[in-house]
Amino acid sequence: MVVLKFKINKIIMENERLIGLAIKISKNRDERAFSELFDFLAPKINAYYLKNNLGFEQSEELTQEVLSTIWAKADLFDPERSKFITWAYTIARNKKIDLYRKTKNKTAEDEDIRHFLYQNNEINDYEIELSINKIKKELDENQQKLLKMSFFEQKSHKKIAEELEIPLGTVKSRIRSTLNKMQKFLL
Amino acid sequence: MNTVAQKNELIFGYSSGNLTEAKSLFVSMYLYLNSVAAKNASIFDNILADNLANLDEVAPKKINYKDCINSTYNQNLSFKITKNNNPLTNLIGSIDKLKWKSIYKGFREFNISLKDSDTIKLIKMDPGISVPLHSHNGKEYILVIDGSFCDEYGEYKKGDMQINDQKIKHHPIASNKNGCICLSITERDVIFFGKLGSALNLFTFIKSFFK
Repeated sequence: MVVLKFKINKIIMENERLIGLAIKISKNRDERAFSELFDFLAPKINAYYLKNNLGFEQSEELTQEVLSTIWAKADLFDPERSKFITWAYTIARNKKIDLYRKTKNKTAEDEDIRHFLYQNNEINDYEIELSINKIKKELDENQQKLLKMSFFEQKSHKKIAEELEIPLGTVKSRIRSTLNKMQKFLL
Repeated sequence: MNTVAQKNELIFGYSSGNLTEAKSLFVSMYLYLNSVAAKNASIFDNILADNLANLDEVAPKKINYKDCINSTYNQNLSFKITKNNNPLTNLIGSIDKLKWKSIYKGFREFNISLKDSDTIKLIKMDPGISVPLHSHNGKEYILVIDGSFCDEYGEYKKGDMQINDQKIKHHPIASNKNGCICLSITERDVIFFGKLGSALNLFTFIKSFFK
Protein backbone atom coordinates (compact mmCIF):
# COMPACT_ATOMS: atom_id res chain seq x y z
CA MET A 1 0.00 0.00 0.00
CA VAL A 2 2.86 2.37 0.83
CA VAL A 3 4.55 1.57 -2.48
CA LEU A 4 1.28 2.09 -4.28
CA LYS A 5 0.77 5.44 -2.62
CA PHE A 6 4.29 6.45 -3.56
CA LYS A 7 3.70 5.42 -7.16
CA ILE A 8 0.46 7.34 -7.37
CA ASN A 9 2.05 10.40 -5.80
CA LYS A 10 4.81 10.28 -8.39
CA ILE A 11 2.26 10.16 -11.21
CA ILE A 12 0.31 13.01 -9.67
CA MET A 13 3.48 15.12 -9.27
CA GLU A 14 4.45 14.52 -12.89
CA ASN A 15 0.94 15.51 -13.84
CA GLU A 16 1.22 18.73 -11.81
CA ARG A 17 4.33 19.66 -13.78
CA LEU A 18 2.59 19.08 -17.10
CA ILE A 19 -0.48 21.02 -15.98
CA GLY A 20 1.84 23.91 -15.06
CA LEU A 21 3.27 23.90 -18.58
CA ALA A 22 -0.18 23.68 -20.15
CA ILE A 23 -1.33 26.70 -18.17
CA LYS A 24 1.73 28.72 -19.18
CA ILE A 25 1.00 27.82 -22.79
CA SER A 26 -2.68 28.68 -22.76
CA LYS A 27 -2.45 31.81 -20.59
CA ASN A 28 0.87 33.33 -21.65
CA ARG A 29 1.53 31.66 -25.02
CA ASP A 30 4.84 30.70 -23.42
CA GLU A 31 7.05 29.18 -26.13
CA ARG A 32 9.65 27.96 -23.66
CA ALA A 33 7.06 26.00 -21.75
CA PHE A 34 5.87 24.58 -25.05
CA SER A 35 9.40 23.59 -26.01
CA GLU A 36 9.70 21.69 -22.72
CA LEU A 37 6.38 19.98 -23.36
CA PHE A 38 7.47 19.14 -26.89
CA ASP A 39 10.64 17.45 -25.62
CA PHE A 40 8.59 15.39 -23.21
CA LEU A 41 5.73 14.43 -25.52
CA ALA A 42 6.94 14.32 -29.12
CA PRO A 43 9.22 11.26 -28.72
CA LYS A 44 6.38 9.37 -27.01
CA ILE A 45 3.73 10.28 -29.56
CA ASN A 46 6.08 9.57 -32.44
CA ALA A 47 6.81 6.15 -30.93
CA TYR A 48 3.07 5.54 -30.54
CA TYR A 49 2.47 6.08 -34.24
CA LEU A 50 5.44 3.91 -35.18
CA LYS A 51 4.05 1.17 -32.92
CA ASN A 52 0.77 1.58 -34.76
CA ASN A 53 2.61 0.61 -37.90
CA LEU A 54 2.81 4.01 -39.56
CA GLY A 55 5.93 4.96 -41.52
CA PHE A 56 8.61 7.37 -40.28
CA GLU A 57 7.41 10.31 -42.37
CA GLN A 58 3.78 9.88 -41.48
CA SER A 59 4.49 9.37 -37.78
CA GLU A 60 6.42 12.62 -37.62
CA GLU A 61 3.79 14.45 -39.61
CA LEU A 62 1.06 13.32 -37.23
CA THR A 63 3.22 14.03 -34.19
CA GLN A 64 3.58 17.60 -35.44
CA GLU A 65 -0.19 17.85 -35.89
CA VAL A 66 -0.76 16.64 -32.33
CA LEU A 67 1.71 19.11 -30.86
CA SER A 68 0.27 21.92 -32.99
CA THR A 69 -3.17 21.09 -31.68
CA ILE A 70 -1.86 21.17 -28.11
CA TRP A 71 -0.29 24.59 -28.75
CA ALA A 72 -3.48 25.94 -30.32
CA LYS A 73 -6.01 24.38 -27.99
CA ALA A 74 -4.20 24.17 -24.68
CA ASP A 75 -7.05 26.13 -23.10
CA LEU A 76 -9.39 23.20 -23.77
CA PHE A 77 -7.39 20.97 -21.48
CA ASP A 78 -9.15 20.74 -18.15
CA PRO A 79 -7.15 19.35 -15.20
CA GLU A 80 -10.47 18.55 -13.51
CA ARG A 81 -11.38 16.14 -16.30
CA SER A 82 -8.22 14.17 -16.92
CA LYS A 83 -4.51 13.93 -16.48
CA PHE A 84 -2.54 15.86 -19.07
CA ILE A 85 -0.99 12.75 -20.61
CA THR A 86 -4.47 11.26 -21.05
CA TRP A 87 -5.65 14.38 -22.83
CA ALA A 88 -2.59 14.23 -25.08
CA TYR A 89 -3.20 10.55 -25.75
CA THR A 90 -6.80 11.20 -26.85
CA ILE A 91 -5.62 13.89 -29.27
CA ALA A 92 -3.04 11.50 -30.75
CA ARG A 93 -5.66 8.77 -31.00
CA ASN A 94 -8.17 11.09 -32.65
CA LYS A 95 -5.60 12.09 -35.28
CA LYS A 96 -5.09 8.42 -35.99
CA ILE A 97 -8.86 7.91 -36.41
CA ASP A 98 -9.04 10.93 -38.72
CA LEU A 99 -6.21 9.54 -40.81
CA TYR A 100 -8.04 6.30 -41.45
CA ARG A 101 -11.30 8.09 -42.12
CA LYS A 102 -9.92 10.84 -44.30
CA THR A 103 -11.45 9.45 -47.45
CA LYS A 104 -14.71 8.43 -45.85
CA ASN A 105 -17.37 10.69 -44.44
CA LYS A 106 -16.33 12.29 -41.20
CA THR A 107 -19.75 13.30 -40.01
CA ALA A 108 -20.37 10.16 -37.97
CA GLU A 109 -18.27 11.23 -35.10
CA ASP A 110 -17.27 14.81 -34.68
CA GLU A 111 -14.44 16.06 -32.61
CA ASP A 112 -16.82 18.16 -30.56
CA ILE A 113 -18.66 15.04 -29.44
CA ARG A 114 -15.44 13.52 -28.22
CA HIS A 115 -14.82 16.81 -26.49
CA PHE A 116 -18.29 16.79 -24.97
CA LEU A 117 -17.72 13.30 -23.55
CA TYR A 118 -14.43 14.55 -22.17
CA GLN A 119 -16.07 17.55 -20.53
CA ASN A 120 -18.59 15.30 -18.86
CA ASN A 121 -15.97 13.07 -17.38
CA GLU A 122 -16.77 12.78 -13.70
CA ILE A 123 -14.04 10.57 -12.38
CA ASN A 124 -11.18 11.80 -10.25
CA ASP A 125 -7.48 11.13 -10.77
CA TYR A 126 -6.94 9.25 -7.56
CA GLU A 127 -9.89 6.96 -8.20
CA ILE A 128 -8.55 6.23 -11.67
CA GLU A 129 -4.97 5.63 -10.57
CA LEU A 130 -6.23 3.26 -7.92
CA SER A 131 -8.25 1.27 -10.48
CA ILE A 132 -5.36 1.17 -12.91
CA ASN A 133 -2.89 0.04 -10.29
CA LYS A 134 -5.21 -2.69 -9.10
CA ILE A 135 -5.75 -3.81 -12.68
CA LYS A 136 -2.00 -3.88 -13.28
CA LYS A 137 -1.51 -5.92 -10.15
CA GLU A 138 -4.27 -8.33 -11.05
CA LEU A 139 -3.04 -8.99 -14.59
CA ASP A 140 0.14 -10.93 -15.25
CA GLU A 141 2.76 -9.72 -17.69
CA ASN A 142 1.37 -11.70 -20.62
CA GLN A 143 -2.12 -10.37 -20.12
CA GLN A 144 -0.86 -6.80 -19.97
CA LYS A 145 1.17 -7.39 -23.10
CA LEU A 146 -1.89 -8.77 -24.87
CA LEU A 147 -3.97 -5.70 -23.97
CA LYS A 148 -1.17 -3.42 -25.08
CA MET A 149 -0.78 -5.18 -28.42
CA SER A 150 -4.48 -5.29 -29.11
CA PHE A 151 -5.64 -1.89 -27.90
CA PHE A 152 -2.60 0.36 -27.84
CA GLU A 153 -0.69 -0.92 -30.84
CA GLN A 154 -3.91 -1.80 -32.64
CA LYS A 155 -2.63 -5.13 -33.85
CA SER A 156 -5.18 -7.54 -35.29
CA HIS A 157 -5.87 -10.75 -33.41
CA LYS A 158 -4.29 -12.56 -36.34
CA LYS A 159 -1.08 -10.53 -36.11
CA ILE A 160 -0.91 -11.10 -32.35
CA ALA A 161 -1.35 -14.83 -32.88
CA GLU A 162 1.56 -14.83 -35.32
CA GLU A 163 3.86 -12.75 -33.13
CA LEU A 164 3.20 -14.72 -29.97
CA GLU A 165 3.01 -18.02 -31.85
CA ILE A 166 -0.29 -19.04 -30.32
CA PRO A 167 -3.53 -20.04 -32.09
CA LEU A 168 -5.97 -17.29 -33.11
CA GLY A 169 -8.73 -18.76 -30.94
CA THR A 170 -6.42 -18.58 -27.92
CA VAL A 171 -5.75 -14.87 -28.54
CA LYS A 172 -9.48 -14.16 -28.61
CA SER A 173 -10.24 -16.20 -25.50
CA ARG A 174 -7.28 -14.73 -23.60
CA ILE A 175 -8.38 -11.17 -24.38
CA ARG A 176 -11.88 -12.04 -23.18
CA SER A 177 -10.63 -13.58 -19.95
CA THR A 178 -8.31 -10.60 -19.35
CA LEU A 179 -11.23 -8.20 -19.76
CA ASN A 180 -13.25 -10.37 -17.40
CA LYS A 181 -10.48 -10.22 -14.81
CA MET A 182 -10.39 -6.44 -15.10
CA GLN A 183 -14.10 -6.18 -14.54
CA LYS A 184 -13.95 -6.17 -10.76
CA PHE A 185 -11.89 -2.98 -10.86
CA LEU A 186 -14.14 -1.27 -13.34
CA LEU A 187 -17.48 0.26 -12.50
CA MET B 1 -20.99 -15.91 -23.43
CA ASN B 2 -20.02 -13.08 -21.13
CA THR B 3 -21.65 -9.82 -22.15
CA VAL B 4 -19.74 -7.73 -19.63
CA ALA B 5 -16.44 -8.59 -21.28
CA GLN B 6 -17.93 -7.94 -24.69
CA LYS B 7 -19.19 -4.52 -23.63
CA ASN B 8 -15.79 -3.67 -22.22
CA GLU B 9 -14.10 -4.90 -25.37
CA LEU B 10 -16.29 -2.48 -27.29
CA ILE B 11 -15.54 0.46 -24.96
CA PHE B 12 -11.84 -0.39 -24.95
CA GLY B 13 -11.98 -0.49 -28.76
CA TYR B 14 -13.50 3.00 -28.72
CA SER B 15 -10.76 4.28 -26.41
CA SER B 16 -8.09 2.76 -28.62
CA GLY B 17 -9.62 4.18 -31.79
CA ASN B 18 -9.84 0.87 -33.59
CA LEU B 19 -13.60 0.69 -34.19
CA THR B 20 -15.12 1.17 -37.60
CA GLU B 21 -17.63 3.98 -38.08
CA ALA B 22 -20.83 2.16 -37.21
CA LYS B 23 -19.50 0.74 -33.94
CA SER B 24 -17.81 4.02 -33.13
CA LEU B 25 -21.12 5.86 -33.45
CA PHE B 26 -22.84 3.15 -31.44
CA VAL B 27 -20.32 3.35 -28.59
CA SER B 28 -20.23 7.15 -28.52
CA MET B 29 -24.02 7.02 -28.10
CA TYR B 30 -23.59 4.44 -25.34
CA LEU B 31 -21.13 6.69 -23.53
CA TYR B 32 -23.43 9.67 -24.07
CA LEU B 33 -26.37 7.90 -22.40
CA ASN B 34 -24.64 5.75 -19.82
CA SER B 35 -22.42 7.42 -17.22
CA VAL B 36 -21.02 4.14 -15.89
CA ALA B 37 -19.88 3.18 -19.39
CA ALA B 38 -18.38 6.66 -19.78
CA LYS B 39 -16.39 6.25 -16.57
CA ASN B 40 -15.06 2.90 -17.75
CA ALA B 41 -14.07 4.53 -21.04
CA SER B 42 -12.15 7.07 -19.03
CA ILE B 43 -10.33 4.29 -17.16
CA PHE B 44 -9.44 2.68 -20.49
CA ASP B 45 -8.20 6.04 -21.84
CA ASN B 46 -5.96 6.29 -18.82
CA ILE B 47 -4.62 2.76 -19.22
CA LEU B 48 -3.74 3.55 -22.81
CA ALA B 49 -2.23 6.91 -21.81
CA ASP B 50 -0.18 4.99 -19.26
CA ASN B 51 1.13 2.83 -22.11
CA LEU B 52 2.04 6.06 -23.89
CA ALA B 53 3.87 7.40 -20.85
CA ASN B 54 5.95 4.24 -20.54
CA LEU B 55 6.75 3.71 -24.21
CA ASP B 56 10.33 3.43 -25.46
CA GLU B 57 10.75 6.87 -26.95
CA VAL B 58 11.70 7.58 -30.55
CA ALA B 59 12.66 11.20 -31.02
CA PRO B 60 11.36 12.70 -34.26
CA LYS B 61 14.17 13.87 -36.54
CA LYS B 62 12.55 16.33 -38.88
CA ILE B 63 10.26 18.35 -36.66
CA ASN B 64 10.79 20.71 -33.76
CA TYR B 65 8.60 22.78 -31.45
CA LYS B 66 8.92 25.88 -33.66
CA ASP B 67 7.41 23.99 -36.60
CA CYS B 68 4.46 23.03 -34.45
CA ILE B 69 3.82 26.61 -33.42
CA ASN B 70 4.25 27.95 -36.94
CA SER B 71 2.02 25.38 -38.56
CA THR B 72 -0.89 26.49 -36.39
CA TYR B 73 -0.91 29.78 -38.29
CA ASN B 74 -1.35 28.02 -41.61
CA GLN B 75 -4.18 25.73 -40.76
CA ASN B 76 -7.59 26.26 -39.36
CA LEU B 77 -7.54 24.77 -35.91
CA SER B 78 -10.58 26.58 -34.69
CA PHE B 79 -12.85 24.45 -32.65
CA LYS B 80 -16.45 24.31 -33.58
CA ILE B 81 -18.81 23.72 -30.73
CA THR B 82 -22.20 22.57 -31.89
CA LYS B 83 -25.20 22.96 -29.67
CA ASN B 84 -26.11 19.35 -30.19
CA ASN B 85 -23.86 16.93 -28.38
CA ASN B 86 -25.96 13.88 -29.04
CA PRO B 87 -23.80 11.88 -31.49
CA LEU B 88 -26.82 10.27 -33.14
CA THR B 89 -29.09 13.26 -33.74
CA ASN B 90 -26.03 15.29 -34.63
CA LEU B 91 -25.69 12.94 -37.59
CA ILE B 92 -29.27 12.13 -38.61
CA GLY B 93 -31.26 15.02 -37.16
CA SER B 94 -34.21 14.86 -34.82
CA ILE B 95 -35.57 11.36 -34.19
CA ASP B 96 -39.16 12.67 -34.35
CA LYS B 97 -38.67 13.72 -37.93
CA LEU B 98 -37.21 10.54 -39.37
CA LYS B 99 -38.85 8.74 -42.27
CA TRP B 100 -39.36 5.34 -40.70
CA LYS B 101 -39.90 2.26 -42.77
CA SER B 102 -42.69 0.07 -41.46
CA ILE B 103 -41.69 -3.58 -41.14
CA TYR B 104 -44.93 -4.76 -39.57
CA LYS B 105 -47.63 -3.16 -37.50
CA GLY B 106 -46.06 -1.26 -34.61
CA PHE B 107 -42.49 -2.06 -35.67
CA ARG B 108 -40.47 0.40 -37.73
CA GLU B 109 -36.88 0.77 -38.80
CA PHE B 110 -34.59 3.55 -39.99
CA ASN B 111 -31.33 2.63 -41.69
CA ILE B 112 -28.34 4.87 -40.97
CA SER B 113 -26.12 4.83 -44.00
CA LEU B 114 -22.45 4.68 -43.12
CA LYS B 115 -19.60 3.22 -45.11
CA ASP B 116 -19.27 0.15 -42.95
CA SER B 117 -19.71 -3.58 -43.38
CA ASP B 118 -21.77 -3.61 -40.17
CA THR B 119 -25.39 -2.53 -40.55
CA ILE B 120 -26.54 0.17 -38.17
CA LYS B 121 -30.18 1.16 -37.82
CA LEU B 122 -32.78 2.53 -35.45
CA ILE B 123 -35.69 0.36 -34.40
CA LYS B 124 -38.94 1.80 -33.13
CA MET B 125 -41.50 -0.37 -31.37
CA ASP B 126 -44.91 0.90 -30.32
CA PRO B 127 -46.02 0.24 -26.72
CA GLY B 128 -46.62 -3.45 -26.04
CA ILE B 129 -45.40 -4.61 -29.45
CA SER B 130 -43.33 -7.76 -29.41
CA VAL B 131 -40.82 -9.39 -31.73
CA PRO B 132 -41.43 -13.10 -32.38
CA LEU B 133 -38.95 -15.53 -30.83
CA HIS B 134 -35.79 -15.43 -32.87
CA SER B 135 -32.06 -16.05 -32.82
CA HIS B 136 -29.33 -14.17 -34.64
CA ASN B 137 -27.25 -15.00 -37.62
CA GLY B 138 -24.45 -12.55 -36.95
CA LYS B 139 -23.84 -10.78 -33.66
CA GLU B 140 -26.31 -8.04 -32.80
CA TYR B 141 -25.80 -5.08 -30.45
CA ILE B 142 -28.85 -3.25 -29.11
CA LEU B 143 -28.76 0.08 -27.27
CA VAL B 144 -31.93 1.53 -25.80
CA ILE B 145 -32.21 5.19 -26.84
CA ASP B 146 -35.67 5.85 -25.46
CA GLY B 147 -38.35 3.91 -23.58
CA SER B 148 -37.61 0.32 -22.61
CA PHE B 149 -38.14 -3.30 -23.53
CA CYS B 150 -37.95 -6.60 -21.74
CA ASP B 151 -37.24 -10.17 -22.71
CA GLU B 152 -36.32 -13.48 -21.06
CA TYR B 153 -33.08 -11.92 -19.82
CA GLY B 154 -34.50 -8.85 -18.08
CA GLU B 155 -35.58 -5.28 -18.58
CA TYR B 156 -33.53 -2.88 -20.70
CA LYS B 157 -33.91 0.85 -20.15
CA LYS B 158 -32.49 3.98 -21.77
CA GLY B 159 -28.71 3.64 -21.90
CA ASP B 160 -28.70 -0.16 -21.45
CA MET B 161 -26.98 -2.37 -23.98
CA GLN B 162 -27.76 -5.93 -24.97
CA ILE B 163 -25.49 -8.14 -27.05
CA ASN B 164 -27.01 -11.10 -28.85
CA ASP B 165 -25.37 -13.91 -30.76
CA GLN B 166 -26.34 -17.18 -32.35
CA LYS B 167 -26.78 -18.90 -29.02
CA ILE B 168 -29.36 -16.46 -27.79
CA LYS B 169 -33.02 -16.93 -28.56
CA HIS B 170 -35.25 -14.18 -27.24
CA HIS B 171 -38.66 -12.61 -27.43
CA PRO B 172 -38.46 -8.86 -26.74
CA ILE B 173 -41.55 -6.84 -25.81
CA ALA B 174 -41.62 -3.03 -25.84
CA SER B 175 -42.78 -1.25 -22.70
CA ASN B 176 -46.55 -0.82 -22.46
CA LYS B 177 -46.10 2.78 -21.48
CA ASN B 178 -43.66 4.42 -23.84
CA GLY B 179 -42.70 1.80 -26.38
CA CYS B 180 -39.06 1.64 -27.28
CA ILE B 181 -36.48 3.12 -29.62
CA CYS B 182 -33.21 1.24 -30.00
CA LEU B 183 -30.02 1.65 -31.93
CA SER B 184 -28.96 -1.66 -33.40
CA ILE B 185 -25.83 -2.98 -35.08
CA THR B 186 -25.75 -6.27 -36.89
CA GLU B 187 -22.39 -7.67 -37.82
CA ARG B 188 -22.13 -9.23 -41.21
CA ASP B 189 -22.28 -12.97 -41.52
CA VAL B 190 -18.88 -14.51 -41.53
CA ILE B 191 -17.54 -14.89 -45.02
CA PHE B 192 -15.18 -17.78 -45.43
CA PHE B 193 -11.96 -17.50 -47.35
CA GLY B 194 -9.46 -20.00 -48.69
CA LYS B 195 -9.82 -23.30 -50.50
CA LEU B 196 -12.85 -24.50 -48.59
CA GLY B 197 -14.35 -21.03 -48.58
CA SER B 198 -16.62 -21.19 -51.57
CA ALA B 199 -18.07 -24.51 -50.44
CA LEU B 200 -18.74 -23.10 -46.96
CA ASN B 201 -20.25 -19.91 -48.35
CA LEU B 202 -22.51 -21.95 -50.62
CA PHE B 203 -23.53 -23.93 -47.57
CA THR B 204 -24.48 -20.76 -45.62
CA PHE B 205 -26.30 -19.51 -48.69
CA ILE B 206 -28.39 -22.69 -48.99
CA LYS B 207 -28.88 -22.80 -45.23
CA SER B 208 -30.37 -19.31 -45.32
CA PHE B 209 -33.35 -20.67 -47.29
CA PHE B 210 -34.29 -22.97 -44.47
CA LYS B 211 -34.49 -20.35 -41.76
